[in-house]
Amino acid sequence: MAERKLLLEHSHETSFRTRAGYEQTGGYEGLKKALGMERQAIIDEVKTSGLRGRGGAGFPTWIKWNGLPKEKKTSHFIICNADEGEPGTFKDKELIEKCPFLLVEGMTIAGVATQADAGYIYIRGEYLDGARSLRSAIDEAYKAGYLGKNIMGSGVNFDLYIHMGAGSYECGEETALMSSLMGERGMPRLKFPHAPLPTISGVFEKPTLINNVETYCCAPFILKNGGEWYATLGASTKNSRGTKIFSVSGHVKKPGNYEIEFGTPLQELLEIAGGMVDGDLKFCVPGGSSVPMIKKAEVERAIIGYEEMSEVRSMVGSGGCMFFNDSTCVVTFTWRTAQFYANESCGKCTPCREGTRWMVQILDRILAGGGNPGDAELLQQVASQIDGRSFCPLGDAAAWPVAAALRVFPEEFAYFIENGSSMVTGAKTLAMAP
Amino acid sequence: MSDLIGLQTLSEKPTRLDQSQLKLNFSEAAVSQLEEIKSHYPSEKAAILPALWIAQREYGGFLSSEAIAEVAHRLHRAYAEVEGVATFYSMYNTRHKPGKHKLEVCTCLSCHVNGAYRILDLIEKKLGIRPNETTEDGLFTLEEVECLNACDRAVVMQVGDSYYGPLTESLLDTIIADLKSRTESTVIQMADEIVKVHLPESAV
Repeated sequence: MAERKLLLEHSHETSFRTRAGYEQTGGYEGLKKALGMERQAIIDEVKTSGLRGRGGAGFPTWIKWNGLPKEKKTSHFIICNADEGEPGTFKDKELIEKCPFLLVEGMTIAGVATQADAGYIYIRGEYLDGARSLRSAIDEAYKAGYLGKNIMGSGVNFDLYIHMGAGSYECGEETALMSSLMGERGMPRLKFPHAPLPTISGVFEKPTLINNVETYCCAPFILKNGGEWYATLGASTKNSRGTKIFSVSGHVKKPGNYEIEFGTPLQELLEIAGGMVDGDLKFCVPGGSSVPMIKKAEVERAIIGYEEMSEVRSMVGSGGCMFFNDSTCVVTFTWRTAQFYANESCGKCTPCREGTRWMVQILDRILAGGGNPGDAELLQQVASQIDGRSFCPLGDAAAWPVAAALRVFPEEFAYFIENGSSMVTGAKTLAMAP
Repeated sequence: MSDLIGLQTLSEKPTRLDQSQLKLNFSEAAVSQLEEIKSHYPSEKAAILPALWIAQREYGGFLSSEAIAEVAHRLHRAYAEVEGVATFYSMYNTRHKPGKHKLEVCTCLSCHVNGAYRILDLIEKKLGIRPNETTEDGLFTLEEVECLNACDRAVVMQVGDSYYGPLTESLLDTIIADLKSRTESTVIQMADEIVKVHLPESAV
């Protein structure tokens, strides 16, 4: 298998960013079809497609769409999570910059299916190019009657707004994002079953649908070509359908976004990205910084799919796939990962707020050459005590990469603690933050 | 006695919520932009984030306590609430007034393995400042930031609304020279751009 471009097929054409160019490639056919369908039929089409959330969790999309009240008693909202922050991931950036109409059409379809009054696109503050591209797409869509009052004469009203974030990884978590959208600190909320699902009480305490950029971008294709057609993509896997965009970076020759069909071997993704640069593959973090790292042998047998990746004890995640060569010191790498989560923890839950700091302190000590015997076990213990003990998955995401590094490369930690220098580079103290 | 003196100083500070001392600095355009943005949400509170972006632009790239007080006043919120929100997000400048240009260097995973700390060192030497410091002439502020999510261009740096990467020494020289020649502050310009993407064409 090679690349299978569906979402990114026209991404290199600048005309694709204009309404006219988008329509020439079959754009808005999906929405036209959806407007002639029963709302439930749209949701059933998404169900047939087997589409799962592309933000990282892989939750079946149709269940969310189906979860909003069918009998509308109050306002409904839909949100697009464009607060891409997972280290290693840059697919949503490319989608909103180069394929803005896919998102606008996808959200309109979702808005029609869920009877939403308005949609909000929450974009991380740094993504200005993408935001500008979306701004002009939304303006054009309003002018052409694809948004606003009485969309294409169907009697459906739907408004779409852009909301910019202001620098917080935590806001990529759906309940924190909703807090942020409501003008609060971006902290997560209590979740189901302790609190109602967002589909019942989400943003502004109204029924809310929230999906990732890439998930919404799949909707126009599903409606246009049918859910059954979409489900033929990735049919070789257990339960992953369609295509997935992977952001490949690290020590590869051609870093970038590559769209592949589920069922493609991970090794092939590396080859598509031009293979390794300067040395041999050592380990891979296949789905963004929070997923467990895997060694070369696992990379060689891993198949890309939600269930398939768990066979090599990792995940598809958000698709931020980083390959690292044999010059990479795992201890330093783990230190930088731990530092990211310590910096980004919102501070709400004690295990995450304190635990992420402790992990950095222990790793700081090891890197400075002052590691104590038993530090590896201590690190393992702290990680396991964060895992599953916070409101949102940031805590888990901080614990998994550290636990995985200790499991996969225990000898490197042992060496650093004993000798006060890196087993790989021999360096005593590596370039560190001030 | 020393405690009393402490209390004295505290009470002499102008109270931040005193409406009579509040000076409103938003331009007419800013006020109408805020009105438009407020109409996007079912609650006024939801406009806090965009309003802070407007304030960051109107107050020269820095959210001083006056700026926060104005946002609180215009949205009918408590000062403490708006301050709490503003200080949560890293892109609002609430601690120090930044220089004219803010160089934000990503040192996260992919950038890290591609030599981000070497690049950071290089910039430190070129500008003579450490991260979170501003050059004496007030031109540049240096910051180390978490993943900018442009890992295909590692090592990457953000200045205002632009990403630069992969960074090399010669590219850095070009960027710094270019920034020196600009009259506009990229910090203020970025806040302005962020405000603008909230506004539909019809409202601009």
